[in-house]
Amino acid sequence: MSDAASAPAPIRADAPPTGQRIIEIEGLNKWYGEFHVLRDINLSVNRGEVVVVIGPSGSGKSTLIRCINRLEEHQQGKIVVDGVELTDDVRAIDQIRRETGMVFQSFNLFPHLTVLDNITLAPTRVRRWKKSKAEERARFFLEKVGIPEQAHKYPGQLSGGQQQRVAIARSLTMEPKVMLFDEPTSALDPEVIGEVLQVMVNLAKEGMTMVVVTHEMGFAREVGDRVVFMDAGQIVEVGSPEHFFTNPKEARTRSFLSKIL
Amino acid sequence: MIQPRPAPVKAHGFRFWLRKNLFNGPFNTVLTFVAAVVVAWSLYNLATFIFVEGSWGQVWRNMRLFGVYRYPPEYLWRPLLALGIMLGLMGVMAGAGGRKSIVAGAFLPIQGFVAVVSVVAILFWPSVRFLWPGALALGFLGYFIGSRWPRSIKYLPWGWGVWLVVGYLLLSGLTTGGTLGKVPVRDWGGFLLTLILFTGIIPSFPIGIALALGRNSKLPAIKYFCIGFIEVVRGAPLIMWLFIASLLLPLILNVDANSLPAIMRAYVAITLFSAAYMAENVRGGLQAVPRGQGEAARALGLSAWQTTLLIVLPQALRAVIPAIVGQAIGLFKDTSLVFIVGLVDFFKVGDIVSVQPEALLVTGGVKLEVFLFIAVIYFFFAYRMSIASRQLEKRLGVGER
Repeated sequence: MSDAASAPAPIRADAPPTGQRIIEIEGLNKWYGEFHVLRDINLSVNRGEVVVVIGPSGSGKSTLIRCINRLEEHQQGKIVVDGVELTDDVRAIDQIRRETGMVFQSFNLFPHLTVLDNITLAPTRVRRWKKSKAEERARFFLEKVGIPEQAHKYPGQLSGGQQQRVAIARSLTMEPKVMLFDEPTSALDPEVIGEVLQVMVNLAKEGMTMVVVTHEMGFAREVGDRVVFMDAGQIVEVGSPEHFFTNPKEARTRSFLSKIL
Repeated sequence: MIQPRPAPVKAHGFRFWLRKNLFNGPFNTVLTFVAAVVVAWSLYNLATFIFVEGSWGQVWRNMRLFGVYRYPPEYLWRPLLALGIMLGLMGVMAGAGGRKSIVAGAFLPIQGFVAVVSVVAILFWPSVRFLWPGALALGFLGYFIGSRWPRSIKYLPWGWGVWLVVGYLLLSGLTTGGTLGKVPVRDWGGFLLTLILFTGIIPSFPIGIALALGRNSKLPAIKYFCIGFIEVVRGAPLIMWLFIASLLLPLILNVDANSLPAIMRAYVAITLFSAAYMAENVRGGLQAVPRGQGEAARALGLSAWQTTLLIVLPQALRAVIPAIVGQAIGLFKDTSLVFIVGLVDFFKVGDIVSVQPEALLVTGGVKLEVFLFIAVIYFFFAYRMSIASRQLEKRLGVGER
């Protein structure tokens, strides 16, 4: 539909002007070698907003959120997180990573450390908290994700759902301003997806700013403030869940939704 | 509905095992008999040699040479005191860790070995009659201290540091003549020398890790230096590096060849050789750590160094424990190559002992006896290391995914 010649003006996926912006992405472009994986991305996120990114696999949605904390380098454009622009400056990168939590598809807990040590590692080493404070906060967040009794186990002794909840607690203990979720339920058995989603729903209710890449349309519809649909490295359509799931504008969005709903 | 049925009866017992594995069918029965005859015949011959025909007197009379070679007999208390302190420090570690700890698993068999030697010393070797039991006692004293006051383990790093200095001073001596008379390094030999050279594995460990990390560095100067070092060192046999070290090292450092003891030159060669192999082992481990581990650590805000030291290396090293212990065992045996640069280690003593005039009087020589003895000693220590490695793997395997 959108050939280069007849392409409409790039979509401005700006947050509504009411809130204070915490993430601003402008004219973002990224290539893997010759492959143009992110094309002219514009997106802003307000404090307390939950933005859900959906799209077919290979559409660049994971790459997009991995750019926000510089796990991937972008070649063109501007990313500002909480007033700090991402450049090659290591201090800027470290500062943004301190304030940005990330939850991965494959959990990435550290298998050689206990649950408690997994959680307290970054607060004690990066935030320089006392061990007692870090452990107290760790237990608080373990309670919050519903597994306070697993603190002294190793990740390998937990189920997938429990591991992902530990990973969420690990990020939260750093008290981040933004949480990035990269397909957090895609590697889970169907019967434990619910317990992880419930934790995320509670988090959203408490006002955490979240950017969530997911295939869980139920979550997008119930919790998302805005839904971003990506395809072939571009943002195709942005809107409220209501608009998105009942009356999408773009043909590509309609065709994607018809396949998965 | 299917009713539960009893499980099929599993045939147990030795006779069943025999029938199933050795005598199932005429062909296998014949094979079993032939193999049994061959094995029995060989064992009979070996046993006859060991217990009847062999002349072990030559090995027995030269125990001091096997132990320390030319180290002056009147100073034997010095290496044995160093040994005793070492056993004491190990004992503290073992005692603090508890009976089932890995260190205890290594310490107690070594104490057993020392105990056997002590009994022999009390009965037959008047000059070291009290020294071996003394070393044994120091070991148990350490064990007692460790289990009584487990917190003493905090001071162990200092203990080992002091031991290194004191041990060296004990071995080399301080004064000309007297109780602490100097013993030139060229007179250190036998099993003592083998152990000293084997400790080259300890400095090779950090060097190897540094080389492995350097090989993955983004800075081309570091990267290509590390690759070059590893490939060049691995590209030639250890025996050649021993030669080169004994000739080249004095040249590089621009000193007289005789002012650097041969032991030191061999030690440097062995350490660097081992480091190159260590680097490749560690690199294998680094590659085995999933990418997501580093990403998760970085996403939490840990620096590149913290990520490497706290997250990646511990997992990488755990993955390559078998390879590292394999290398330690290999190095332990490869130290025997130092005879080529004129050092007399445990292995070379065997060579010397078997051509002494007394040995030549024995019909058929005593080479076989001597080298069987050497093989048994090497085997004891190599096998102990192998067991310790398996325990270590099991212990660290806790919570592995």
